[in-house]
Amino acid sequence: MTREQPLPERVTLLGIRHHGPGSARMVAAALAAVRPEVVLIEGPPEGDALLPHVPNLTPPVALLLHDEAEPSRAAFWPFAEFSPEWRAMKWAHANGVPVRFFDLPAAASLGASPEDTPADSPDDKPRAALDPLGTLAEAAGFDDPERWWEDVVEHHTDPEDLAEAVAEAMGALREEFADQVDARTLLREAAMRQNVRQALKDVEGPIAVVAGAWHVPALRTLPPASVDAAALKGLPRKKVSGTWVPWSHGRLASSSGYGAGVDSPGWYAHLWECAERGDAVPRWFAKACGVLRAEDLPASTASAVEAVRLADTLAAMRGRPSPGLSEVMEASLAVLCGGDTTPLRLVHEQLVVGERLGEVGDDVPTSPLAADLARLRKRLRLPASASIKPIRLDLRKDTDRERSKLLRRLEVLDVPWGTPDTTRTLGTFAEAWQLHWKPEFEVALAVAARHGTTVEAAAQTVLVTRAAEATRVVNAAEALSQSVGCEIPEAVAAARQALDRCAAAATDALELLAALPDLATTVRYGSVRGTDPELLRVALHGLLARGAVGLPLACRGVDEDTAERAVKAVEGADDAVRLAADDEHRDTWQRALKSLVAMPDAHGLPTGRATRLLWETGALDSTEVAARLHRAVSLAAGATAFVAGFLRGSAALLTADPRLFSVVDEWLTGLSGPDFAAALPLLRRAVGDFSPAERRMLGDRVKGTAGGTAASSDWDEDLAARLAGHVRALLGAAT
Amino acid sequence: MTTESVLRPAAEQQYAAELAALAAADDRPRPPRWRMSPQAVVTYVLGGRLADGTVITPKYVGDRRLVEVAVGTLVTDRALLLVGVPGTAKSWLSEHIAAAVSGNSMLTVQGTAGTGEDQVRYGWNYARLIAEGPSEAALVASPVMTAMRTGAVARIEELTRMPAEVQDSFITILSEKTLPVPELGIQVQAVPGFTVIATANDRDRGVNQMSSALARRFNTVVLPPPATEDAEVEIVLARAAQLGRALQLPAEPPALAEVRRVVRIFRELRNGSTVDGRTQLKKPSGSLSTAEAISVVTSGMALAGHFGDGTITADELASGLLGAVVKDRVSDTAAWREYLEAVVKERAEWRDLYRACQDAVG
Repeated sequence: MTREQPLPERVTLLGIRHHGPGSARMVAAALAAVRPEVVLIEGPPEGDALLPHVPNLTPPVALLLHDEAEPSRAAFWPFAEFSPEWRAMKWAHANGVPVRFFDLPAAASLGASPEDTPADSPDDKPRAALDPLGTLAEAAGFDDPERWWEDVVEHHTDPEDLAEAVAEAMGALREEFADQVDARTLLREAAMRQNVRQALKDVEGPIAVVAGAWHVPALRTLPPASVDAAALKGLPRKKVSGTWVPWSHGRLASSSGYGAGVDSPGWYAHLWECAERGDAVPRWFAKACGVLRAEDLPASTASAVEAVRLADTLAAMRGRPSPGLSEVMEASLAVLCGGDTTPLRLVHEQLVVGERLGEVGDDVPTSPLAADLARLRKRLRLPASASIKPIRLDLRKDTDRERSKLLRRLEVLDVPWGTPDTTRTLGTFAEAWQLHWKPEFEVALAVAARHGTTVEAAAQTVLVTRAAEATRVVNAAEALSQSVGCEIPEAVAAARQALDRCAAAATDALELLAALPDLATTVRYGSVRGTDPELLRVALHGLLARGAVGLPLACRGVDEDTAERAVKAVEGADDAVRLAADDEHRDTWQRALKSLVAMPDAHGLPTGRATRLLWETGALDSTEVAARLHRAVSLAAGATAFVAGFLRGSAALLTADPRLFSVVDEWLTGLSGPDFAAALPLLRRAVGDFSPAERRMLGDRVKGTAGGTAASSDWDEDLAARLAGHVRALLGAAT
Repeated sequence: MTTESVLRPAAEQQYAAELAALAAADDRPRPPRWRMSPQAVVTYVLGGRLADGTVITPKYVGDRRLVEVAVGTLVTDRALLLVGVPGTAKSWLSEHIAAAVSGNSMLTVQGTAGTGEDQVRYGWNYARLIAEGPSEAALVASPVMTAMRTGAVARIEELTRMPAEVQDSFITILSEKTLPVPELGIQVQAVPGFTVIATANDRDRGVNQMSSALARRFNTVVLPPPATEDAEVEIVLARAAQLGRALQLPAEPPALAEVRRVVRIFRELRNGSTVDGRTQLKKPSGSLSTAEAISVVTSGMALAGHFGDGTITADELASGLLGAVVKDRVSDTAAWREYLEAVVKERAEWRDLYRACQDAVG
């Protein structure tokens, strides 16, 4: 490293802490004083083309760059209102000064590690390993680097000297931690120096450089250009495109695992906003009281006053010029929250992290797909929000139906903005969703952009492809139900075809039957969804007919695992038949069950289940069932399975339904002594699946039958009649 | 009254030398009527070394921030409420802060179910009242009233044990800082320096919930149980040694290993699982606080001193442990036996303790 030249005087190096409001103030002040002719900012040069859009952005936003050939290889460069880089961009735009990113091209960093979590690994790994200003702050005994910056750095220096002081401190730190500087950082710094050289060539006047403080020592001297050029040779070249995307405070927080994150973006934003007025602390407590009151927790203005006093006192006791985050949080806990950390967590979530989603203006170039989504959002009045928001849709209303369609189509495109809330069933016409927009969806959108230019077209392409590629009945049925939900007729048709194709090729009756429940739901929703339900019903019937024929054989001579599958298939298919099949096919299904029951060497588990289902519909009467149970016990093999299949999952029914109870009861009491002894282990194993509570209930039921008649004579007829009248009135009012 | 002549000297008597040294070395601004600056109070509580070489012993082992918030509260003349499960050094901290701030920790009202308003506000010397009629001479001031007059810290112990209506008589005292005496047509107005430290526990049976009007007038600091085993061992060691000296027990200060065993047993039973997290345990009904661990160790010291050879062994600890753990004869005995069999027996180096405890349970 001979012939190193010092950086010319006209270049001002501004070493910053990423997302630090203190650094942001320093940058703003320094730029105003230096008035550079060009501003260089740490960031990928491919983003330069997007810089003219800065005035139309509301932070937090992120620069999203991705490999055009492989859109899932993407990285974000987020900026908040209080990020120094953002202040530099704003200043440059307000003053008409050209601004450029001067880091290593994204083309090189995107290709660096394509394997490990491509969308989520911005090139900030070294920063995560070592936060240089944080290290200095820690050495000085501060828990929050911003506090240190404020107390030690800002209160004692004017902004221009400050840059010099930071550079010196970093120089010392770089020497100390020389071994922590990895090859990538050195490469990036070579690129930075090359870009500085270019800028020196381009302009005669002053130049401002905004870069992480860590990089400052490496930029203070310029080695011969050829050395850096050699280092940068042979970097991967790719076509990279990008856009601005809305970002969220939550994703800035280091708890989300983002490298150069900050713990308290909300607090920093607050500091930044209040810096001019100088009322950060009182305003903070006023906000905290607002948060608590919104949750119906007591928080009076008088308490806020006391909290301010305590925070000020704590700061004074600790010898700090003004309260920092730790003082305000401790004062909030002691005064506003009565020592209880639960309400404090609310304050933390809403103010310290302070969830906020940025906005991106209309003129920012996006993929046609993203633009279509933005249009749809506006038309359907579904704004993106970074916090979870539940909505309820009535599918009979056009707007709600469109909304549901949009959410389902996005789901197909791997953008799960809405998650269906399945905890509540709202009937055929209503849906509940949880909306939660995550910034990383932008990557999925970029990936989906190749499928089409509108949400509908892209979803159609994906669904049609999925249908065409389906080889199993289940996959085809899933594609069909998704297509119906998305209301894309072409996709529905394709999925129908796929289903027919797969059903024809399927040799496994159980697989055919397993697809039925999904399809039955789709049939029911089809009418709401603008698909002809008959079309779907025909498909359902087709599957049912094929499956029914194969069912008895599929249960013959099978192992336990298959038998389990068979029970599930039989149960699901039975539900589906009751839900959606016509009479004729109901008969078909019943015949299939009957022939299964009649088949002597079928596995006990599905046979037992089929017996039970037939008994429930009345196709088998109780004596026949008792006979079947009896026969099962007399058979050594498969007996347990039969009883288990018969009773499986019906503990509640067994206690509540006197008919079922008496069938089992009669069968048991009718057994002779030795037969009973033989049946006992079977029974024990059959009820072994029941939970302890269910077994206790069942036991009570058995004990209760003896005294049952006596108890019933205690009835107060008058009271019962009055109650019955009330119930009737209630039901009448309800219907 | 010399320190030696009383069973338990108050904090300001026992640590008079430290307090004097701190006050002498303190050059920071003091709030009105404070004996020392808030920073010096924090140093007194948490310990440290002064410029002149005086060593200040730590009185409270725990988070510095909590103590800072507590002292900061008093600076803003707000009332301080220390909350925590039993045995988390609430009263201890309250006494020491009062001693450091006002040099007097004895202006104390002990809250019980039988505490009446006259103990909080003022009472009468009835002989005088009848003989002379109402006069200031017949007035019997409560500790709170005395503290208001002299600008000192009043301590309220176990605030939540008082009946709710008595608790509420603090509302005017805390918000208006005056105490009216309608019988004499006067009111006692507090002078600067007056403030209140109350302690309360939220876990025990027989407590009266504070009204929200009263709770609003306090800054609340929750004192947690010691965070780590090492911190708790340190507390028990230090306190047992101090108490042993104060009670003139003829035993040696306990060995670290024995204290560590006691603390581990207490922590494991309190948390309901072993330190390695592998074994789930029944939790006994008692609170198993650090204070009780201290008393197990000191009673062990007493036994060893008077009936043993002066060093604590497993035998001396066993009966104390049994008494501390078993508060409810049936359920706690089961929990204790289970712990002995499942945990103590399995630890090879605890064999002596297992045998001793087995004998004690009988």
